[in-house]
Amino acid sequence: MAAVIEVSRLSRADLESALAEHSLTLKPDEARRVAELLGRDPTLTELTLFDTMWSEHCSYKSSRAHLARHLPTEGPDVVLGPVEDAGIVRLGEADGRRWCLVMSHESHNHPSQVLPFEGAATGIGGIVRDVYCMGAEVVGVLDPLRFGDPRGEHADRSREIMAGVVDGIWHYANALGVPNLGGDLVFHPGYDDNCLVNVVAVGLVPEEEIIRSRVPAEARAEPYDFILVGKPTDESGFGGAAFASVILDEEEENRGAVQVPDPFLKRVLSEANKAVLALARRGGAAIGFKDLGAGGIACVSSELAEAGGFGMRVDLDRVAVSDPALPDRVIACSETQERYGLAVPRRLTPRVLAIYNEEYDLPHVYPGACARVAGEVTNDGRYTLTRGGAVLCDAPVAVVTKGIRYEREAAPAARDLPDPPPALDRDLGADLLALLADPNLCDRRYLYQHYDGEVQGNACLRPGEADAGVLAPFAGSPLGLAVTCDGNPWYGARDPYRGAALAVCEAVRNLACVGAWPLALTDCLNYGNPEKPGPFGAFAEGVRGIGDACRGIGRLAEDDQAPAPRHPIPVISGNVSFYNESARGAAIPPSPIVALAGRVPDISVVPGLQLKAAGDPVYLLGARRAELGGGAWHRVCRGSEGGAVPEPDFARVRTESLAVIRAVQAGWVRAAHDVGEGGLATAAAEMLLGRRGEPARGLDLDATGGDGGGGLPPASLLFSETGGFLVELAPAADDAFAELCRALGVACLRLGAVTAAPRLVLRAGGAVLVDLDAGELAAAWQGALPRLFPAGEETPDGAREVADA
Amino acid sequence: MPEAPRPRAAVIQFPGVNCEYESARALAAAGAEADILRWNEDPARLAGYDLFLLPGGFSYQDRVRAGAVAAKEDILEALADEAAAGKPVLGICNGAQVLVEAGFVPGLRGEDLELALAPNRMPGRRGYFSEWCHLRVADSTPSWLGILSERVLPMPFAHGEGRFTSRRPGLFEELAAAGQVVLRYADAEGAVAAGWPENPNGSELAAAGVCNAAGNVLAMMPHPERAAWLGQVPELLPGPWGWKRRRAFGEWPRLKGPGPGHALFAAMVGAAAARREAVDAT
Repeated sequence: MAAVIEVSRLSRADLESALAEHSLTLKPDEARRVAELLGRDPTLTELTLFDTMWSEHCSYKSSRAHLARHLPTEGPDVVLGPVEDAGIVRLGEADGRRWCLVMSHESHNHPSQVLPFEGAATGIGGIVRDVYCMGAEVVGVLDPLRFGDPRGEHADRSREIMAGVVDGIWHYANALGVPNLGGDLVFHPGYDDNCLVNVVAVGLVPEEEIIRSRVPAEARAEPYDFILVGKPTDESGFGGAAFASVILDEEEENRGAVQVPDPFLKRVLSEANKAVLALARRGGAAIGFKDLGAGGIACVSSELAEAGGFGMRVDLDRVAVSDPALPDRVIACSETQERYGLAVPRRLTPRVLAIYNEEYDLPHVYPGACARVAGEVTNDGRYTLTRGGAVLCDAPVAVVTKGIRYEREAAPAARDLPDPPPALDRDLGADLLALLADPNLCDRRYLYQHYDGEVQGNACLRPGEADAGVLAPFAGSPLGLAVTCDGNPWYGARDPYRGAALAVCEAVRNLACVGAWPLALTDCLNYGNPEKPGPFGAFAEGVRGIGDACRGIGRLAEDDQAPAPRHPIPVISGNVSFYNESARGAAIPPSPIVALAGRVPDISVVPGLQLKAAGDPVYLLGARRAELGGGAWHRVCRGSEGGAVPEPDFARVRTESLAVIRAVQAGWVRAAHDVGEGGLATAAAEMLLGRRGEPARGLDLDATGGDGGGGLPPASLLFSETGGFLVELAPAADDAFAELCRALGVACLRLGAVTAAPRLVLRAGGAVLVDLDAGELAAAWQGALPRLFPAGEETPDGAREVADA
Repeated sequence: MPEAPRPRAAVIQFPGVNCEYESARALAAAGAEADILRWNEDPARLAGYDLFLLPGGFSYQDRVRAGAVAAKEDILEALADEAAAGKPVLGICNGAQVLVEAGFVPGLRGEDLELALAPNRMPGRRGYFSEWCHLRVADSTPSWLGILSERVLPMPFAHGEGRFTSRRPGLFEELAAAGQVVLRYADAEGAVAAGWPENPNGSELAAAGVCNAAGNVLAMMPHPERAAWLGQVPELLPGPWGWKRRRAFGEWPRLKGPGPGHALFAAMVGAAAARREAVDAT
C-alpha cells in the first residue's frame, strides 16, 4: 500500500492544513468519513479520488434529494432517464430503423470565466463525448450563454469573456463538424463575476445500437479488458470537478484546473470509435463505453465496473502519459480531454487496438495518442489501482463510487418590487426601437455567423430562422428533429419558481411554432452557493417550478392530445451548477436553463418565423394580461425591474401549443413565432425582420381586444410578456383554424394581415400606436450586437475597424 | 445495350475532415458510386476510381496553414497522377486548401505556390464566417462546370481562411482570361460581387472557385453538398431557388429533390462518365 494520510489521527486543524496543502476541497469531516468507509486511513490518491467523486459537480450531494422529489423522469418515450451521462428517448422510425434521440446538458461556467476560450471549447468537447459514448452520432449542439452587462461597470471584462467564449465554441464545434442548432445570449449585471456557458448536445442512434456506460453482464462468462484510448494523460484539468464546486476566488491560481481542448483528435477518435463499435456489433460482442470527464481514469474505470456489478484492476504503469514524472494521483484523476474508456472482451482486444493504433494511426496523427490495455475487469467487486508495484487504491467498488448527501437549508425567496407608476403618453414606436436595439433583444445573426450551422448537411431551420432549430437528418424520410433552449434571469431573480416554470413554458411554445411534439427536456440549474439558505432556496424553488411545468403542461404527442395531461414531459438528463458566486459574495440571478427536443413528423410543412405573403391573415393566441414584471419594456424603457412576473398557466400553454402544432402539421401555417420577452410588438417586429434582417413584407395589426376585453392600457397591450403566439395563416385555412381553436377552447383573435409595404403598423382602440418603416426597425435591430465584439467596435471617428484574422 | 456502370468516386478522408459523409451522399445522388477512402490506405487504389473529392473540414487541425500537411501525404502524389490523366478532382473548402497547397490549382508549371487561400478580410468581423452566398459560373471555362455557364448557384460557405489571393500581380486577371476563375461570388441576380458581404472574404476578383488549365481540377470554398437538396435551401433565400423552396412547401418528395448544388455534382459525375467512355473507346 502506498503511504497514507493519517486523517483519523490528525487534529481537525492539522487535517485542514493537510487537505489544503494537497489542494483538496474535502472538508475535514468528509475526509474522516472516507477513512470510515475504507476502514483505514486513505492514500493521497484515494483522497483525491473522493475529492472529485464527492464534489458537488459529481455527487449532487446538495441537490439530489430535490431533483428526485420534483422532476419526472419517466414516460412512454423514455429509453434511458438521467442515470448516465446522457438521456435517451425514442424519436421515430426512418429509413427502416427505430431511431432514438440522445441528449446531454452541462455547464462549463467556472472554466469559461477563468479561461474563456479553453473553457468554452472544452465545454463543447465534454458534452459531445457524453452523447458519443452512448453509441450515437452527434447531430448538433446548442449554447445558452450568459454574460455580464456589456455597458456596465465591468463592461470590458464581460465583452472580453464573451468574445473568448464565442471563439472557443466555434473553434471546437466547427472543427469537430457538429452544427450549431441554436442557443441564446443574455446579458445581465448579475453575471459580471460569473459568466454562464451551458452546452447541450443532441445525437441520434438506432435503438438496437445503444451502448451503455457499464461493463456488460457477458463479462461473467469471458475475460474483459479495460482499454484506454485517446490523448496521453497529462496534468491538464487536474482538480477540475472540485474547481467547479467552489466559489471563484483566486482566478489566476485555478487556471491549471481548466482542460485543454483538441477537436481535431476528437474527430479522428470519433471516426475510429465508429469502426470499433461496428466491429463489436459484427462480432456480436457486448462492450461498455464511457468518456473520461471529471475524475479521469479513476472515475471512469470504477464507474464502468460499479454500473455493471463488477470489480476492476487498473495498472497506471500501462497508461500512456505525457511525462513519466507525473505524480500517481495526477495520472489517476487528471481531466485530460479527448479520452475514452472501453470494456471489451479480451478476444477482441487485438483488433480494437489495431483499429485505433494502425488503421486510424493515432500515434502518428497526434503525438503520444494511442489505445492501450490499462486494466482488466474482475469478478471480486474490488477496485484496485496500482503503479510501480505500489497499491494506490484498494477498496470495494461500491465504496469508491458511494456518494454523499447533505440536507441544506432553503430560505424562502422574498423579493417584492413594486410596479412602476403607470406610463402615459409615451411614444411606443420609439420604445419599440429602443427594445430592438437592446443587447438582449437585438439581432443575433452576427453571433450565428461564427458557427457552422450547415455541416452534416441536415439543416432545415437554422438559428434565427425559427423559434427552434430543426434538422432533417434522415435521407429517405421527412421525419425531423427540433430543439430549443430557454431561461430568463429577470424572471428568476423576481420569482425563482415562476422563472423556472416559464422557461419550460416558453420552450414548449418554441417547439409548437415548428410543429414539433415535445419529447424530452434537459436542464442545467445554475445557482449560487448552496451552503447559503438564499441561493439554495432559489434552487429548490426552481426545481419545483420545472417539475410542476413538466407535469402541468404534460406530454403532447400523436396519441396524447387530451386537454388534461396523461404523462409528464420527462426530464432525461441535466446538471446542477452551484457556487456561481464571486468572492465578493455576489451570486448570479437564479438561472435554470432548459433545453427541449421534439419530434417533427413532416419537415416539409415546418414554417420559419418570417412573414411570407401579403394578404395572409395574422392571429394572436394568448390574451394579453398586465404582466410586465421582469420584462424588457420595464427594464429598457423605464429603468424598472418591478411588477408582476407572468403567471405560468400550464393548461393554457398545453391547449394553445396543441392548436399551433396541429395547425402547422396540417400545413396551414406560413409563419409562427411565440410571444414572450418584449411582448406582442417585439414578436411582430421579429416576424417582419426574419433571420436575415431583409424585410420583404410588412404587418398591419390591430391589437384591440387582444387583452380579452381586460381594459389594458396600450403599452401593456404591446409589451406585456404573457406567453402566446403570433401565427400567419394561409388564407384558405382561416375557418379551419378558427374551428380547431374553438374545439380546443383556445381564444384566437385575428389581428390583421401581412402587407406588401415593408412597414410595421400596430393599432389599438382606434389609435395608431406604432408606425415604423421596416428599414428603421432593421437598422436599430442589426447594429447593436456587432459593436459589442472587438472586431466590430466603433472606432472614435465612427468608422468600423477592418480586422484581419 | 447494357446500362453503363456508375462512375466510381473516391472521397478522401484525411484526419480531421468532417464533410465526407454528406459529400459522398451528394455524389451518390448525382449518379456516382461513392466510397470514403482513408488517407493511409494503399495509394494504388486510386487508379480504380473515376473521380475524386477532397471534402471540407480541418485536416491535421490546420497545422502550419489550412491544408498544408495533408498536401504532403503520399496519397496526393497518386492523386496527381490521376489528375494528370484527366479525371475530375474537386476540393471543397479544406479540400480546396489542400489542392492549392499541393499546387494542383492553378497548376502553372515551373513555379511553386502561385495561389493562396488567406484569412478572410471582413469589415467589422474576424475569424470564421458562415452564411449563404450566390455563385456565378464563368461564361467560358475549361472546367467541367462549363455546361453550367452563366448560371447562378446559391450555397453556403463556412471558413476562416478562404480569400483567394496571390503574390503575383495580374495572376487573377490571367486566370480569369483563361476561364480558370470558374466560380465568382455574386448577388442573387448573378451580378459579380463588388464588395463585402456579397464577396464574403475579400477574394481577388470575387473568386470562389478556381480550376487548373486543363479544367479537370477545381478548388472551391463554398459547400455544394450543403445545397444538394432543395430542402437545404433557406425558405427566404432571395432569388429563384428561394422561390422554388417556398413553392415546395408541404411536398416532401420535391424537398428531397435536387437543390442548386446538385447540378455541380451532376456535371462532375457526367464529365467522369464521358471521360471513361472516351478512354474505353480507344
